[in-house]
Amino acid sequence: MSLSLLGLLTIGAAPRSHRARTGRRRATIWHALALLVIFLSSVFPFYWMVTTSLKKQADALAYPPVWRFTPTLEHYIDALFTHDVAGSLINSLIVASSTTVLAILLGTPAAYALARYEFRGKRDLWFWFISNRMVSPVVLAVPFFLIATKLDLIDTHIVLILLYLTFSLPIVVWICTDQFRNVPIELDEAARLDGASPWRVFWKINLPLAMPGIVVSAIFAFIFSWNDLLYALVLTRDNAATSPVAATNYMSGYELPWGEIMATGTLIVLPMVIFALLVSGRLVQGLTMGAVK
Amino acid sequence: MNKRFLQRKLAMASLAATSFLLAAHASAWTLKEAAAPYSGTTLHAIFLDRPGYTAAEKLIPQFEKETGITIKWDVVPYESTRQKEVLNFVSGGAQDIVLVDVVWIGEFASNKWLVPIKKFTDDPKLADPNLNLKGFFPILLDSFGTWDKVTYGLPFDNYSGLMFYNKCMLKQAGFSEPPKTWDDLLNVYAPKLTDAAKNRYAFALQSRRGETQSADSFMRMLWPNGGSLLDAKFKSNLMSPQSQAGLDYRQKLMKYMPPGIVDFDHAEAVNALAQGQVAMITEWSAFYPTLTDPAKSKLGDCLGIATEPRGPAGLKPALGGFSLAVNAKASAKKQAAAWLFIQWITSEQMAKPYLEAGGVPARTAVYQDAAVQQKYPFVKPMVESWQGGVPDYRPRFPEWPAISEIIGEWGTKMMLGNVSVKDGAQTIGSKMEAILKKAGYYDGKKPLLK
Amino acid sequence: MLNGTVQRTNPATAARKRARLRLWPRSPAFWFLFPAVFALAVIGIYPLLVALYNSVHQYRLADLEAGTPFVGLDNYVATFADATFWQALGRTMLFLCLTLPLEIALGLFAALMLHRSGLAWMRAAARVSLVIPMATTYAVVGLIGRLIFNRQFGVANYLLSFFGVPPQDWLGDPTLAYVSVMIMDVWQWTPFCALILLAGLTMVPKEAEEAARLETRKRLTILWHIERPYLLPGLTAILILRSADMLKMFDAVYTMTRGGPGAATEFISVYIERIGFRLFDQGLASAQAMLLLVLTIVLSRLYIRYIYREVA
Repeated sequence: MSLSLLGLLTIGAAPRSHRARTGRRRATIWHALALLVIFLSSVFPFYWMVTTSLKKQADALAYPPVWRFTPTLEHYIDALFTHDVAGSLINSLIVASSTTVLAILLGTPAAYALARYEFRGKRDLWFWFISNRMVSPVVLAVPFFLIATKLDLIDTHIVLILLYLTFSLPIVVWICTDQFRNVPIELDEAARLDGASPWRVFWKINLPLAMPGIVVSAIFAFIFSWNDLLYALVLTRDNAATSPVAATNYMSGYELPWGEIMATGTLIVLPMVIFALLVSGRLVQGLTMGAVK
Repeated sequence: MNKRFLQRKLAMASLAATSFLLAAHASAWTLKEAAAPYSGTTLHAIFLDRPGYTAAEKLIPQFEKETGITIKWDVVPYESTRQKEVLNFVSGGAQDIVLVDVVWIGEFASNKWLVPIKKFTDDPKLADPNLNLKGFFPILLDSFGTWDKVTYGLPFDNYSGLMFYNKCMLKQAGFSEPPKTWDDLLNVYAPKLTDAAKNRYAFALQSRRGETQSADSFMRMLWPNGGSLLDAKFKSNLMSPQSQAGLDYRQKLMKYMPPGIVDFDHAEAVNALAQGQVAMITEWSAFYPTLTDPAKSKLGDCLGIATEPRGPAGLKPALGGFSLAVNAKASAKKQAAAWLFIQWITSEQMAKPYLEAGGVPARTAVYQDAAVQQKYPFVKPMVESWQGGVPDYRPRFPEWPAISEIIGEWGTKMMLGNVSVKDGAQTIGSKMEAILKKAGYYDGKKPLLK
Repeated sequence: MLNGTVQRTNPATAARKRARLRLWPRSPAFWFLFPAVFALAVIGIYPLLVALYNSVHQYRLADLEAGTPFVGLDNYVATFADATFWQALGRTMLFLCLTLPLEIALGLFAALMLHRSGLAWMRAAARVSLVIPMATTYAVVGLIGRLIFNRQFGVANYLLSFFGVPPQDWLGDPTLAYVSVMIMDVWQWTPFCALILLAGLTMVPKEAEEAARLETRKRLTILWHIERPYLLPGLTAILILRSADMLKMFDAVYTMTRGGPGAATEFISVYIERIGFRLFDQGLASAQAMLLLVLTIVLSRLYIRYIYREVA
């Protein structure tokens, strides 16, 4: 899947020529319209959030909605410094990066083993890996809270990093297993014949060739870790609170500062969106450079 | 003769000496000295995003300067506060100053999470001789800080339910005064003030599921009618004719309130009045600054403030507020430092600065000043409300949070018309009694405290 | 993912591999797997066991003075007898049955549009834009929903006014609140379905497509006969992941409606969170969460058995 997921990002790169006939032209117009709708509906809520964050409170609450306005950065300043969204972003960055790195370190060898070796119970083991991602956070939040309390790990980064492995590790295993399967076994065998140990085969041959898929799994792991709310709500206080927790701090019933809420939302989401957009381009590079078909 | 003269001289000298010593001792207690052993301590507190806390935050630097004690606070939404505090208690999380809502005192006290203030008031090194517990409004000290005759906290963030209304809208409809009774509000005022086509409604009752529904919407309708949640034996009193009358009244009021009122929380109700959509609201006194802020409110001079309307049973306005208490799980040093802060911020000498910074202190003395009454129009109705109110407006026992959840669910269902008032009240009653039975109130295991 | 390409091995190698049927500590596979399995076991299994333990005890965080006695299956019995639990579960399953087909259908439509040749740069733009909803934090999705569906100044009512529809009380009306949550979920996850299905479509050999197109003009026929086999693995992945996600759904609902109005959007995870962290009855919440886990696993195994197909 991973390879094909990368593949999709390159389709359309090679243009095909047709003769434009009237029927075709009409179809093309509908096609263009459909694509426009897809584009607008994906982007609109995000656009709305960003513009609201730049409007003064009066503009934000205006009805009919205001499309032209003078922007202001006051909400961002408020959110970043008065409400310490800046601190929560840093926490999110630390936690998400660490758990992604850990997931890759642990997950890629496991995925390789699941792809290359046969053994009894493999199917069940694979399912067990995947099923961890299906566990509702509510199940684990409570016991984890109690355990973390006993170990005095409440409100630390490490407790979130470890807990997030329960879904980042399965993602890495899921995507990378498939990726490793697509690496031709002949290369493995050639290396073994040359006297390479299984670890060398993994490290020197398979890992570089599977890199695009590994990167994709890292992206997903990072995004899902960044976005988690429930575990962070329960396990952190003011030291290690991540950014989704900051988003919920506005839910008090007394005042709803929409500008600030949307500024916080933008600050939380923008890094992810930019990251994903940037990386989609790099995935193309990785594909054309290293992938073996 | 000489002997007696000497005796008298001696007596007078010792009298003088004693009184000198006493005077010296009495003037010896200063905050600075009392706090000296704790200088350098950092305390953790949880605050809400409300005017009373912003006011405290403005004054805290003064305390920090004088004592060398640092205070760090977490601003948390009300809905998450109890959760955070309970988790802190259970996990030994860092929190020294506890914010206790009126309805949490029973739970926190019976779990032994709070330190009775007697520990500090008995300690001459920590107790300010000017503490004057009698200087608090009795209803506030009793309701917010005392459980089973033991005081754990001092009232800090104090509210009364008040009626805020739009004088101009009322005038346009032909009324020169706000309604004095709930009956008047429904039958005389509401029809004239409601015009759905123009998106104008007479009243907005904040009713969102949660503590808002239980305290602001549900309980408010019971007391003025002579009803109540529980009877003397702690069984449900919701089926009594007075309670039913109160809940029926609320249903009748629905057509004079904006659609979607069941989702209105405080912000929405206050905003509705501030933007001119509704004519009257009964909300917490703490919203006065919001309603007079020209950036947030269009009311200007049109704002009127009065006590809540009366019912057949008299003036029974909503009562709410928070006290500050000391976490029993904190170290002795932090406990002492926390006490010094709590004592200071609620003291009589800080009452006026606190009021001027935007807070609402619980001291009677500060409100007797005519200038203060003039400057803050909410003072008179609020003091009147506090003098006559119901201390157990909501039961404060540990079972309240669970009962509040039930009322939140079924109270909103009643308003939405998903269940009739009778059936809803019946359901709440039976679920509530199940909880109370399990807790042991009906077989004498637990004293009937609320 | 699950397009299960069969390993390309020659018979000799396959035989050698089949001989190694067990995981010995000597075999390299064991050491490749061990760190991950160990980590996941400690972090995943151990807390589950704690949850199981709690579910058979009385464990009230706000009432620890009463102790934590063993209560056997009381918590489970209480859950089965709790009408609110079943209502929450029913609400969640209904959400699943309504939203998932919608996401798959819209996702398929989007995938077909992105797969169809022509308009290269427009397709690229649309494809890249699909990343935005997927990358948005769920909690923020809920906040955006609150803004857009606000009765007074929300842009949803504004757009409706163009069609002559009066302003709706999206978040105050129980049915509409449910619909609002559906809309935000569809917005966020249709791109996910679209991209996975698109990946499947790109695996279809071009020759087969062209040949089919010469034979029939009906798009649907081509879809059913040629493209479907390549879509099925992706479809299984979507079903498994989205079902699990919907049973876990908490963040967006929490920030958008808190489970209200009334109980209209109280989905099962929202309900369990309330029991565990508002009423602080950890014993009961653990029991409920166990039942939820069992349900999730059963569903996943059913999907795999009946829908998953290997593509040669």
